[in-house]
Amino acid sequence: MNTAAQVENNLPHQVAPDVVIDVKNLVTHYDDKLILDDINFTVNKGEIMVIMGGSGSGKSTLLRFLLGLNTPTSGTVSLLGKDITQMSAQEMYEMRKQMGVAFQGGALFGSMTVAENTQLPLREHTRLDENTMRIMSRMKLEVVNLAGFEDLMPAQLSGGMIKRAALARAIIMDPKLLFFDEPSAGLDPVVAAELDELILRLRDAMNMSIVVVTHELDSAFKIADRITVLDRGKILMCGTVDEVRNSGNERIHNLLNRKPRQDAVDVDEYMGRLTGRNIKGSLPD
Amino acid sequence: MKKAISHVGKLSLNAIEEVGYAFMLLVESLEWFFLGKFRNQSVRLAHIFHEAMSIGVKAVPIASILCFSVGMMLALQGLETLKPYGAQSQVVTGIAVSVTREFSALIIGIIVAGRSGSAITARIGTMKESQEIDALRVIGINPVRYLAAPILIAMMLVLPLLTVIGDFLGMLGGAVYTSFELNMTVATYMNRSFEVLSINDVAQGVSKSIVFAIIIVLVSVSNGFKVTGGSEGVGRSTTRSVVLSISYIIVADMIFTFFLTR
Amino acid sequence: MKYPVHEHGKFSVISLTGEVDLNCSPQAREQILKCLKKNNHLLIDLSAVEYIDSSGVASLVEGFQTARGQQLQFALLGVSKAALQVLQLARLDKVFPIYASIDDVDL
Repeated sequence: MNTAAQVENNLPHQVAPDVVIDVKNLVTHYDDKLILDDINFTVNKGEIMVIMGGSGSGKSTLLRFLLGLNTPTSGTVSLLGKDITQMSAQEMYEMRKQMGVAFQGGALFGSMTVAENTQLPLREHTRLDENTMRIMSRMKLEVVNLAGFEDLMPAQLSGGMIKRAALARAIIMDPKLLFFDEPSAGLDPVVAAELDELILRLRDAMNMSIVVVTHELDSAFKIADRITVLDRGKILMCGTVDEVRNSGNERIHNLLNRKPRQDAVDVDEYMGRLTGRNIKGSLPD
Repeated sequence: MKKAISHVGKLSLNAIEEVGYAFMLLVESLEWFFLGKFRNQSVRLAHIFHEAMSIGVKAVPIASILCFSVGMMLALQGLETLKPYGAQSQVVTGIAVSVTREFSALIIGIIVAGRSGSAITARIGTMKESQEIDALRVIGINPVRYLAAPILIAMMLVLPLLTVIGDFLGMLGGAVYTSFELNMTVATYMNRSFEVLSINDVAQGVSKSIVFAIIIVLVSVSNGFKVTGGSEGVGRSTTRSVVLSISYIIVADMIFTFFLTR
Repeated sequence: MKYPVHEHGKFSVISLTGEVDLNCSPQAREQILKCLKKNNHLLIDLSAVEYIDSSGVASLVEGFQTARGQQLQFALLGVSKAALQVLQLARLDKVFPIYASIDDVDL
């Protein structure tokens, strides 16, 4: 299935892979709680990296740090060779032009039409002619198969259409880096498969480097060049599709077979949780 | 006991944090408004205009009715109280001064807090919950510049205007009632009112309304940005935002009046 | 920066070069529309283009539609593989007349 990596083309990255995302020793906390523990991975140019994990694995949180929406406790996140954790607001503003993000729920602006949504990054960052902007947004809507829907409001769109419109907005500036949060969540399998196809086409045509966060196995195996598996804030493994599939790791195996998590039971702690009092008889905090 | 103390500690920390956050919002909004164009990221006039329309113009009817009613009520009470002393004609001065200095700004502040403050919190909160705020940030649009600054500027422009309209309608309310009770036409009443009023009285109300505008925006915007917990969270924050801004307005009014009347 | 233009038979040929991106495409657009205003048939030579983004393609689209409106010929020359992929993404490769080189154009 992993044809994506071998697609015949003359893109430079296959001569010498060059790293566009480099996460080093990333540690993050929420209040005092450790959320991500020593995360290290890289994404090469033109590569599709899928970040996988169950709910609560920290994958959505990791995405927020890749996007520079949160600041880590320690560690670095480098995009296109620059550490975004140390950037000034102005440098980050410039970096944003190279990044496209499609959020899980689309995050389209409810007060704007589909076309206005897709044009917003252009209006913010460029001084292009109105005609050029209109054609560009129609072209992108054409790419995501939403031609003719440009004057609708987000509330009038179906779930799959919202995700496609969000993708159109994410790629309007032809970004070098594309981030896609849960492309197939909540979609029926046919629509989800279309989106997977679209992601592959985008990478091939525009040589984008793409990070996809998902919990859907089928989708991950179909589009990924490499997969990073997260579990409870740690990287379980990072490898090619085949490596992940043939991994002997029990947790990964459970994840692949959709087995529920079986943690070791600590009797004191568990009983305390159920009864609301621990052995010493005082109420837990 | 320990718990209670730590709870109080936590609450006061939260309160201080909130005030700090609100103050930062104010500084940042003004900074974007004045310096945005030098960074090529200006606050759009169209946005300010749009906000001013929805905050201000659409609030004119309800604000007018309320100020009119308050003016009438003041006339009713004033005439009743002053009757034993035979000083009914003093009601004109009383209403003119109390409406312009006090009631108009207060009523407008409260009605706008209820109308627009809640709407602002709900809108921003919903945007936060649906990741639209995140989307703005990843596009490179600073949410304070894009959402908070236009509202702040619009509110600071519109509230004084509404207050002046309220001044007029409050006095008109008084005039209408008084014209029935005393032998006085509405026109004479209004003329007398304008005679007794000084620019100071109007300025007092107007400057209050600017403070109220800042309070409403800071409270409603910061509560919006801090929404967590889905649509229920939006509802909670909306209520909180209205209650808080009205409370702050009344307290601020009291402090303001205390210093201005000394 | 201005792109070189030369005449070839009834055609004006605009040779785009380098990276036609958000910064350069307004210039390309202006030159294309200006040539069309003079009622010239137009060829856009893309052989020296290293990279063209969608704002560049959008300028080509606008030019092509304007040319069609004036019944002028409009074609692309020397489309590189990378540029072709950008066109293919929006199925524009099926829309634009594309020639390998100027020798293939019917004069």
